[in-house]
Amino acid sequence: MSETISEQTEITESKIPRRSSSRTTARKPKKSRVPLALALAIVIIALVAFGLYLATVDPRLSLFWLIGLCFGFILQRARFCFTASLRDPTLTGGTSLTKAVLIAFAITSVGFVAIQYNAYRMGLPIPGAGYILPISLATVIGGFLFGIGMVIGGGCGSGTLMRVGEGFHMNMLVLVFFIIGLLVGSYDHTWWQLNVIQGAPRVHLPDVFGWFGAITIQLIVIGALYILADRWESRRKSL
Amino acid sequence: MPKEVVVDALGEACPVPLIKTQKAMKTLEIGDVLILKIDHSCAMKNVPEWARKVGHNVELEEIGDCEWEVIIEKVVA
Repeated sequence: MSETISEQTEITESKIPRRSSSRTTARKPKKSRVPLALALAIVIIALVAFGLYLATVDPRLSLFWLIGLCFGFILQRARFCFTASLRDPTLTGGTSLTKAVLIAFAITSVGFVAIQYNAYRMGLPIPGAGYILPISLATVIGGFLFGIGMVIGGGCGSGTLMRVGEGFHMNMLVLVFFIIGLLVGSYDHTWWQLNVIQGAPRVHLPDVFGWFGAITIQLIVIGALYILADRWESRRKSL
Repeated sequence: MPKEVVVDALGEACPVPLIKTQKAMKTLEIGDVLILKIDHSCAMKNVPEWARKVGHNVELEEIGDCEWEVIIEKVVA
C-alpha cells in the first residue's frame, strides 16, 4: 500500500462492501460536542490552577505535576504500552511496541549516562544512585507475578492509570486490586528484605565497565534486541 | 456470495480483541468481511495494524463515543 499509516487510520467512508443489515443497526446518533468542550476547558483550567497552587507549596511539585501530565498525555495518544511490548511478541506476533520501548530505553540510557557522568565528573553525588536496587530472586519472582497480573489486567502501572483516566471500566477494577496488591506487597516486604533481598548485589554498570563501556554495552544489547524483535515479527508473519 | 461475520469485543481489553480477530480471520474465505466491534482504544490501533501487515483491507468507523467498528476484508489466505 502506498498510503502512510497516519492516513490509513483516519476514519473514512467505507470502500469495503457491507450488507445493510449490519450497518443500519450500528450507527448511533451523533451527540453535541459542546458540553464536552466546556468540560474540557474547565478541566484544563483546574489542572493549571492546581499546578500554580503546588508552586506555592514547593516549585518542584509543579514540575512533577507538569511532567506527570505530559507523560500521561503522550502515553494515551501514542498508545504506548509496556504490557503490550512484552506480551504481543508471543501472543499476537506483533513487535512494534517492543521496538518502541527499546528505542525509548536507548534514548533514556544516553540521557541517564549524560546526567550521571556530569555529576561524577564534578564530584557530586550521582543522581538516581538510591534507585540502584539489589538483584535477587525477589526480582525474578516479582517480575513473574507482575507479568501475570499485567497481562490479565490489561495494563502495567502507568497503563492502568492511563486507561482509568480514559474511562475504560475494566481498568478501574484493576486499579482497586492493584492497590490491594501493593498493600499486601508492602506488608510482606520486610520478610523479603530479610530473607531474600539482603546481601544481594547492587550493580551499577559504570562501576563494572567504566562510563563509556557501560553505555556502549547497553546500547549494543538494546540494538541486538531490536534486531531480534524485528526479525521475530517478519518470521511470525510468514508462518 | 461472500460471508459477513460480526465479532463482538465490546468491553474487552487488549489483547482479546486482536486474538478474537486473528481466530475469526482464520475461519473466513478470501473476500469475506469481518466486522469487529470494540470500545477499547488500544484495539483501534493494534487490530488495524496487524490486519494491514498481513495484507487485508481495513477500515475503521466510529459509531459512537468511544465505540468503533473495524471492518476487515480478507485479501490473503
